[in-house]
Amino acid sequence: MSQAPPDRTGVDAHTAPTPAVDLRGITKRFGAVTACDSVDLTLSRGKIHGILGENGAGKSTLMKILIGLVLPDGGSIHIDGEPQQIHDPLAAARLGIGMVHQHFSLVDPLTVWENVALGEGSRLDPGAVRKRIGEIGDHYGLHIDPNARVGDLTAGLRQRVEIIKCLRRDPSIVIFDEPTSVLTPEESTTLFESFRDVVAAEGRAVVLVSHKLDEVLAATDEITIMRQGRVVEHLRTMNADARTLARAMVGREVSLRTERAALGLIEVDEADESLAAPAAASMDREPVLSIRHATAIGAQGAPVLDDLSLDVHAGEILGIAGVEGNGQRALGDLLSSLVRLSSGEVSVGGNVISTRTPGAMTAAGVGVIPEDRHDSGVVLDMTVAENLVLMTPQQVANRGVLDRAKLARRAEQMIAEFDIQCAGPEAPMWSLSGGNQQRVVLARELSYAPEILVAAQPTRGLDVGAIEYMTDRLRAAAAEGVAILLISSELEEILDLADRIAVMYRGAIVGEMLRADADLERLSLLMGGAAA
Amino acid sequence: MDFVNGLWDAISTASTYQNAALFAGLLIFAASGEWVAERSGTINISVEGMLLSAAFTSAVGYTVTESFVVGICCGVLGGMVVAGVQAEMSHRLVADQFVVGLTLNILILGLAGFLDREIDLTTKTAEKVQIPLLHRIPLVGDAIFDQPWPFYLLFVVVPVSWWLVFRTRWGLEVRASGEDPQAADVSGIDVNKRRRQAIYYAGLTSGLGGAFLLFVQVGRFDEGVVSGRGFIAIAAVIFGGWTLRGTVAGCVIFALALGLRLQLPRYYEGVPTELLQAFPFLVTILGMAIFAKRVRPPAALARPFIRGLK
Amino acid sequence: MKPMMRQGEWLGLYVASVAVALGVSAILIRATGGDSLAVFDALIEGSLTGSGRWGLTLGAAAPMLLVALGTIVSARAGLVNIGQEGQLLIGTAFAVYFGFRIGGPGPFNLVVLLVAGSIGGALWAGVAGVLRFRRGVPEVLSTLLLVTVASQVTAYALGREWLLLASNSVGARNNVSEQLAEDNRLPNLNIFGNQIPSSFFLGVVFAVIVAFALARTVWGFQLRMLGRSPQAAQRAGVSQRSFGMRAMLTSGAFAGLAGTVMFAGGGFQFSNYKFVPGFSGNIGWTGLLVALVARERAMPAIAVAIAFGALRTGSSFVGSTGVEARVTDVIEGLLVLALLVPPAVMFIRDRRRARAATTART
Repeated sequence: MSQAPPDRTGVDAHTAPTPAVDLRGITKRFGAVTACDSVDLTLSRGKIHGILGENGAGKSTLMKILIGLVLPDGGSIHIDGEPQQIHDPLAAARLGIGMVHQHFSLVDPLTVWENVALGEGSRLDPGAVRKRIGEIGDHYGLHIDPNARVGDLTAGLRQRVEIIKCLRRDPSIVIFDEPTSVLTPEESTTLFESFRDVVAAEGRAVVLVSHKLDEVLAATDEITIMRQGRVVEHLRTMNADARTLARAMVGREVSLRTERAALGLIEVDEADESLAAPAAASMDREPVLSIRHATAIGAQGAPVLDDLSLDVHAGEILGIAGVEGNGQRALGDLLSSLVRLSSGEVSVGGNVISTRTPGAMTAAGVGVIPEDRHDSGVVLDMTVAENLVLMTPQQVANRGVLDRAKLARRAEQMIAEFDIQCAGPEAPMWSLSGGNQQRVVLARELSYAPEILVAAQPTRGLDVGAIEYMTDRLRAAAAEGVAILLISSELEEILDLADRIAVMYRGAIVGEMLRADADLERLSLLMGGAAA
Repeated sequence: MDFVNGLWDAISTASTYQNAALFAGLLIFAASGEWVAERSGTINISVEGMLLSAAFTSAVGYTVTESFVVGICCGVLGGMVVAGVQAEMSHRLVADQFVVGLTLNILILGLAGFLDREIDLTTKTAEKVQIPLLHRIPLVGDAIFDQPWPFYLLFVVVPVSWWLVFRTRWGLEVRASGEDPQAADVSGIDVNKRRRQAIYYAGLTSGLGGAFLLFVQVGRFDEGVVSGRGFIAIAAVIFGGWTLRGTVAGCVIFALALGLRLQLPRYYEGVPTELLQAFPFLVTILGMAIFAKRVRPPAALARPFIRGLK
Repeated sequence: MKPMMRQGEWLGLYVASVAVALGVSAILIRATGGDSLAVFDALIEGSLTGSGRWGLTLGAAAPMLLVALGTIVSARAGLVNIGQEGQLLIGTAFAVYFGFRIGGPGPFNLVVLLVAGSIGGALWAGVAGVLRFRRGVPEVLSTLLLVTVASQVTAYALGREWLLLASNSVGARNNVSEQLAEDNRLPNLNIFGNQIPSSFFLGVVFAVIVAFALARTVWGFQLRMLGRSPQAAQRAGVSQRSFGMRAMLTSGAFAGLAGTVMFAGGGFQFSNYKFVPGFSGNIGWTGLLVALVARERAMPAIAVAIAFGALRTGSSFVGSTGVEARVTDVIEGLLVLALLVPPAVMFIRDRRRARAATTART
């Protein structure tokens, strides 16, 4: 039983036209977790709706229900006044619901037109598809070569293909799911402007799903805020401000810098002297990590790292800003011994480390919180205890045989210290939430007392509480003298944590500045590839 | 020098091509279907079983009705029954596709041997049909254009397979399922259904292959009538880099090797028959080793797809 | 779901599947005029109850178990090795070659046999390993293709005296190797009047070792990590190249060892201490199936191997019932398929329950 959320839209339900989408009482449970709890949501044509909530609030699940990837446990869906059941993406498409996906919707080896044609029920007509791509391109300013291979495109262009793919079906409801991580701040603005075109000219409903306050404030007409699976507030954007939204998202007053950053508020003007000091002190000493002219060739033959050079000093947090897809992944992989350099070198503590030699980086004292923990951070099928000693099981073994008792004791110690919520050391890793899995990674990496810790997208997918914990820990580590390399596509995070900021573009560092000197416009230009 | 002379003599004899054409026919029937299956992301190891089952059922069909057409249809049925087990167990019931395939091969072999002793089968090869003019081409003309009429079904199966995969929506979805099943799924494609259908298609073409064995090549059923050639068909798909052109080329090349195996010893004794028998496999392995970086299997090949699991 | 109910569900599924498999087999036998009960009786008598049959069954199970253990090791490392049949052949070929060339007292020669066989099998798997770790060739394809190559290589070797052919063989029809001298053979142990080949005990010992190593040692830990997450393994210093290669070699070694104990142990219908064409008799494939049916666990593999071994020894009694002995291949195939069903069904059911998906109520 939930109370009806306060409705400040000022729209009288009786006189309004039939909404395009009316969700009532949508509930979805995954085991013990309630992802959506009796959610009510109304989407109208001609409006841009924002669905705002921190990671884990339930907005993704709600959209997956609308798009047919997940079946709800309870509640009803009405499309244009008619009750409907959405069993799969094809059904959703037939009802006029389209989503521009973040990942996992384009097939790389196929061409643009083949991808756009994917998933429809009708006869395949390449000519017609290509023509339509041209039409949409002209209409919305989203030009693309229909015969290009999707795998060769940049992230921004791939998103363009996603948008075209969505618009081709002529949807009445267009959902954008966290679209801006692959875009520079400028491109984001352009994208939001195009929402207006799509909506105003054609009477569609546009939904922007995001965890970033300022985006939602800038681009939408109405905002629905979700928290822990419930709708907690619904209001007109013109009546909203950052503080109210933040409070609704998190459930209390939000005052800490970190929290505000986590909610997507970029604050560049804050003059905070405490930021400047630590960085300055360590800069005089030798860098702990030094990368010089690193070049690495990717699978397609193009360089993923292109003459990249950077230094990180003890106790400093160097933030690498940049739009996703500019080599950040490769940088993280390089420091995880997963990438071989074709030229250039990496030194830790003055010693050159061989790249791609298994375990070399770890042995040299490089700790890594990887971008995708499921790839190289944790092993889901192993237990928590095993994951906590993943890199060096020898430490809990006697002459090659694992000492179960020692393993368990060590695990319990770390579980307590890092407050990891799990059923115990023997719990399988897959039973932990994302935030707790990240804590396991953090606990393990710190337990090796690294000289440098690489944190790649460390707070992605975490809720505000978990984000706060992670950032506190990173700051604490820096205070103890660990050099921290923070790689993040979320500018807010960089601005919150970093002492120094470097911008990465197409595999190279294109600009550097101290945090105190940071300027949003300049950062944005650098991120977009313009010379500083 | 002797070897070269011997080789030259062997490849100048029409009977080499006659044998090769018959081998190639079987391989091409089986490999076309296998190609489609692998493009959808599944490795169908049960090709052996499909061929054998089809050979048996087409023999049965002919014995009962004395009609080649019925025989061929029974062959197709035989291939598709095996396909049914492979498809349903691997892509509806999530059993391991290798176990299922290998088990089916053993099962069908046992079943065929068992039933063969119990049932009396009388079959023969079909009437030859000679294509005017073309059959006069030296050396290969008779081999390709003067054969029992089911042979010519080859010229239908190959283009149809190509057309299905590249010109239809079904084919687009099959390819998407083989390269990136997650993306295909999110786009509204039923990945496992496409894989099952691809396996059924392989069962169909292998069914024709089994019928081919009976009515074009051998004329009577024996449990050893396939003996490993299903695996050569799989090798051909790999050798061909998962393109249909390459697959057919592979089948032809391998068939020539098998044809030479029979002819070459007459002219030159130095090449061990075992080498010729192993030739298709060795060549495929070598090809993979050399061209590894350039030739790429469908990205999701042999990885089962379950929504929600990577 | 309560554990007891779950156990019950599992048991029920297995019983039902096996029953269906046996039922279909029975129908098949009846349809061709045989007596299905007599066949099943013959199977049981031939494998277990008949005098001395116990021993033969365990002897047949031994090589299957060894192959299965090798498969389990490579599977844990994330490798798909389906070429055991070929590794078995090459391993045995090595054993035969060096066994007859290197003279020496009986027990010594036996050890030479076993070692050579392991090395041979390891080398053959190593070929696929090199292809995989140096050229990126998927081992599922290379090991498969190498099976036929292996059978051709051994056929070649068996046709030539300087390799494996017995020097006193008459005519080209019987390309066999020499027979192994008595004191070089694997001994049998006499237990309760049954002659049980020592190869079986060897298999059990190895099973225990493998189970322990995988679960409790650092090596096993690293192997599991490699299989589940090669990237994490690379970070941790566990390189695909060295660890994966070692796993492949081990896998091949087990297959080679399996062939060698078949050769040196005599055992049931194993060509009487000679290396002959068709020697492997599908043991390689069956061993692979054992590993997969045992869900890649070493201890259960013992039981599964015994079951498959029983089918083999039982089949020789089936002929006397008037039914073609090949029917046991059919029963075996049906049983394997049947045994694949319960884990698949449980997996799907679990996922359905976890998602708690019901259609929306309007």
